[in-house]
Amino acid sequence: MLLRLRALLLWPAVLALAATGFWWSARSHEPPPTPGRKLLTWVHFVSPLRDHYEKQVAEFQRLHPDIEVRLILVPMSEYHMKFKTLAAAGQAPDLFYSGDVWMSYLLPFMRDLTPLVERDAAEIGLDDFFPEIRAALQHEGRYYVMPEHANVALLYYNRSLFRAAGVPEPTADWTWDDLVRAGVTLTRPATADDPGVWGCGRLEGWWGEWLTYVRQAGGAVFTPDGRRCALDSPEAIAGLRFFQDKALRHRFSAPAGYEPLNGFVNSRLAMLMVGHVSYWPNYNQIPDLDWDVQLLPIGPASRSGGELAIAGYSISRHTRHPEEAWMLLKFLTRPAAALEVMRHGTISPRRSVAAVQVGERRAGDRPRQVAAAYEQIQYAQPIPRHPYYIEIMLQIVQPEIDRMVQGELTPEQAARRATDGVNAFLATFHGTGP
Amino acid sequence: MATSVSEWRQSYAAVNHSLTLVATPGSTTYDPMNDRRAQAFWFWLFAGPAVAGFLLFSAGPMLHSLWLAFCNYDVVAPPQFIGLRNFAYLLFHDPAFWPSVQVTLVFTAVQVPLAVASALGVALLLNQPVKARGLWRAIFFLPSILPQAASVAVFVYIFQADGGLLNRLLALAGVTGPAWTTSPAWALPVIVLISLWGFGYPMVVFLGGLQNVPRELYEAAHIDGADAWGRFRHVTLPLISPVLFFNVVMGVIGALKVFDLAYAFGAAQGLIPGGPARATLFYGLNLYQQAFTYFHMGLASAMAWLLFAVIVAITWLNFRLSRRWVHYGD
Amino acid sequence: MEHLRTRRLDWTVTLVLALGALVMVLPLAWMILTSLKTFPEILRQPPALLPADAQWGNYRTVWEGFAYYRFFLNSAFVALMVIAGTVLTCCPAAYAFAFYDVRHRELIFGLLLSSLMLPAQVTVIPLFKAFAALGWVNTYLPLVLPAWFGGNIFGIFLLRQFFRTLPRSLIEAARIDGASEWKILWTLVVPMSLPAVLTVVLFTFLWSWNDLFNPLVYLHSESAYTLPVGLLHFIARAEQLTGGSAGQVPWHLVMALATVMVLPVVLLFVAAQKRFVEGVAATGVKG
Repeated sequence: MLLRLRALLLWPAVLALAATGFWWSARSHEPPPTPGRKLLTWVHFVSPLRDHYEKQVAEFQRLHPDIEVRLILVPMSEYHMKFKTLAAAGQAPDLFYSGDVWMSYLLPFMRDLTPLVERDAAEIGLDDFFPEIRAALQHEGRYYVMPEHANVALLYYNRSLFRAAGVPEPTADWTWDDLVRAGVTLTRPATADDPGVWGCGRLEGWWGEWLTYVRQAGGAVFTPDGRRCALDSPEAIAGLRFFQDKALRHRFSAPAGYEPLNGFVNSRLAMLMVGHVSYWPNYNQIPDLDWDVQLLPIGPASRSGGELAIAGYSISRHTRHPEEAWMLLKFLTRPAAALEVMRHGTISPRRSVAAVQVGERRAGDRPRQVAAAYEQIQYAQPIPRHPYYIEIMLQIVQPEIDRMVQGELTPEQAARRATDGVNAFLATFHGTGP
Repeated sequence: MATSVSEWRQSYAAVNHSLTLVATPGSTTYDPMNDRRAQAFWFWLFAGPAVAGFLLFSAGPMLHSLWLAFCNYDVVAPPQFIGLRNFAYLLFHDPAFWPSVQVTLVFTAVQVPLAVASALGVALLLNQPVKARGLWRAIFFLPSILPQAASVAVFVYIFQADGGLLNRLLALAGVTGPAWTTSPAWALPVIVLISLWGFGYPMVVFLGGLQNVPRELYEAAHIDGADAWGRFRHVTLPLISPVLFFNVVMGVIGALKVFDLAYAFGAAQGLIPGGPARATLFYGLNLYQQAFTYFHMGLASAMAWLLFAVIVAITWLNFRLSRRWVHYGD
Repeated sequence: MEHLRTRRLDWTVTLVLALGALVMVLPLAWMILTSLKTFPEILRQPPALLPADAQWGNYRTVWEGFAYYRFFLNSAFVALMVIAGTVLTCCPAAYAFAFYDVRHRELIFGLLLSSLMLPAQVTVIPLFKAFAALGWVNTYLPLVLPAWFGGNIFGIFLLRQFFRTLPRSLIEAARIDGASEWKILWTLVVPMSLPAVLTVVLFTFLWSWNDLFNPLVYLHSESAYTLPVGLLHFIARAEQLTGGSAGQVPWHLVMALATVMVLPVVLLFVAAQKRFVEGVAATGVKG
């Protein structure tokens, strides 16, 4: 009898529990928008600056009580996936994190900011941005991004290791030859009780370092019209050869597996080419790491060639509140906010903030020569504005460069194979894309 | 469910009783389920939700992506029909397509047999009356539980060139280990090894299957003088063949679709996914990048359907071949 | 003689197991060791095996900097709903595919199986569009509902394989005794395949517990996050706790959190494994 009763009650109980579960599952976790307020969504990657952003949102809402801002944070590794899924479903955020590196790819999503930038040029202090950075914000003369951060390729070095080896510190007029001479002297092979030192790091799997050499040697990735690959020019090959020679002929750049970041942090690398300014706070956490930066060494054809990259914000093409999104964008990139971002430990796209940072340098601050970082900006170039630049570089070119630096290909062979691959790609898809 | 063991034991006893009746040769039996219409009724009642789920959540998106395979689609603008161009590009022009096919096929050919064999081996050992079996089982399943973001970071440390665990052990033996994770030659073998740590899933399936092998059969075989191999070959293997089949089919599908592991492998080292020099550019990773990094949803869909065709063919072959070696209950 | 041989065998088995176990414990051991280090120790290369001074405070930092119990409850809720739906719909479906002779049965099964064969990356967007149109984004329905419609094809396939090893005559006999199909399923077939059902429960739990992709796609609000999404957010958050910026992951804190995340699962497995691997044998039906 008891058994019967239990059997009878069992399924209704399961159903009731399931119903409760579904009721809870169907509950939306999004608070309903306040009536009368305009809702702006802002998608950003999860960043250490999160507290700063939340503070900005609170302050902005206080100044504009008729606007509500929803900040959606997504882990960086999944940022593109999430953003595109939202956009495909017609839920693109009003404001989103972007930058010049992905600009060509994000163009279909981005609103042309030119009329707003020109209208409010004085208010945003357009002239306050470094001219090179202003150029990097544009695509075919139109503005699509407003900057918060900038990164510029630099020569990083470990002062203690230079002192120990008796090598004079890098100067602003260093050439490639000086880099080689210092690198060879600083390299100290590992022994049983000494892990050893490498003269310089080596950036693999990314174009940052080798593209610098290609450009400094007078080469380029594309022909000026962007229709052909130019990596097989003698100048470009000279740049590639220098990248390979650093490793295989002069043997002063660390082989694969010695991560440049860890190596530099642990004083196993005396120098680091290109680097990234967002690592500065990490370096400064190591008490005995006495490091500094210098202008990149001058190449055979020019000093110019290091990379310049901007990170900032764009507004969705289909936003329903373009004026409000623009107000938020201006608020996030205004000088006061830029100053706070700089205090977090990197360099700023604004000249006024740069002046404050250089002026505040005290003895013992690292890096000492922060002015060199700002000086480097005028010799830096953004990546080519080619619609398929990133996939061309990562899918087609980079594997050949990786093979070259492992010694499997000569610079000529790598250039040949990369050029043929890129040209086949461009011939098939230029204009429409795959 | 909530039915107690004693309750179903009773019903089992009842069944056992009727079993003898059924089994009597020549006795006419009445089986209500001989009626095809009754069978169809119950079939659709029981399988209905799953079929409905397939139609609701899978069929639509699948057909949509099949259409996209013939389109140029950047996620924003409406898809634009371009015929077979995506396929032509993949097969004849894309420099990354064939390398990623090769990486995936090599991985599948090496990883599936190794994973299934080690899972079966350990499951057989853990089915012996060893002491503290529960603990052993937990230990061998442990790596399968860890969150991927954390475990891949650990594996990368183990295989790190400079000061990694493996190279330290090798150094003790006087061997200088290579840069496992960043050398084009070693990166793929390392990923195979890392994936083998996760053989806990097939192992648990095998352990469940081994429970279905009645002990008397072993005893009978023992009395017949069969050695350990003979007992395995003629008693265990036929009886767990449905489970073995399951593990092989799912293992192959999983291996051909590998994505998470390859993605985390690159991310944990700050490498571009697929590096060094395309050595770990798995098909699934290549597809993900086409879809979400480069906006070529049409091209990615074409890749997905090519893979789909291959998986369907292999699985069909597996089911075909299984008739020769998989033994189900009577 | 016989006795000696079995003892020697025992020792060999134990030795092989111990060696294997050592390799298998490695990841968790390294996780725990890393969780007890300081940040400079994390950055040191080559890293030291043991922390110089075990930093138990890392666990407090994690506990205070992370809404663990909230994410834990969210994860547990989603996992429970998914498991319930899986058991309630996969068992009948597997039974249907194992025991009914219906025309095109194998074809229908093949269709279901085919949904496992198409990479999810290309179906995400249409599926997300559909769920968004229904207004289900930022709710748990997209994570939970498919499981209630036999969404776990893997589970159906596994259960079908197990069910098919049961003697058919047993089921026929129960039918003759007048048991309904529903009753045969839940009081005969499922209990007899308990190891398989519990295996499916375990796998379903782990997939749901560790699933990163779906919660990431469908949930925007922090209050809704499950543990793996929380963990990824925490990685970036922790960079702030250590005063760093982008780049160096503070692995000591991440590993502390991962350890806390894994612990309930390990305990659950140790507690459950006896039931699901020995459940049937212990009742004496099989042996």
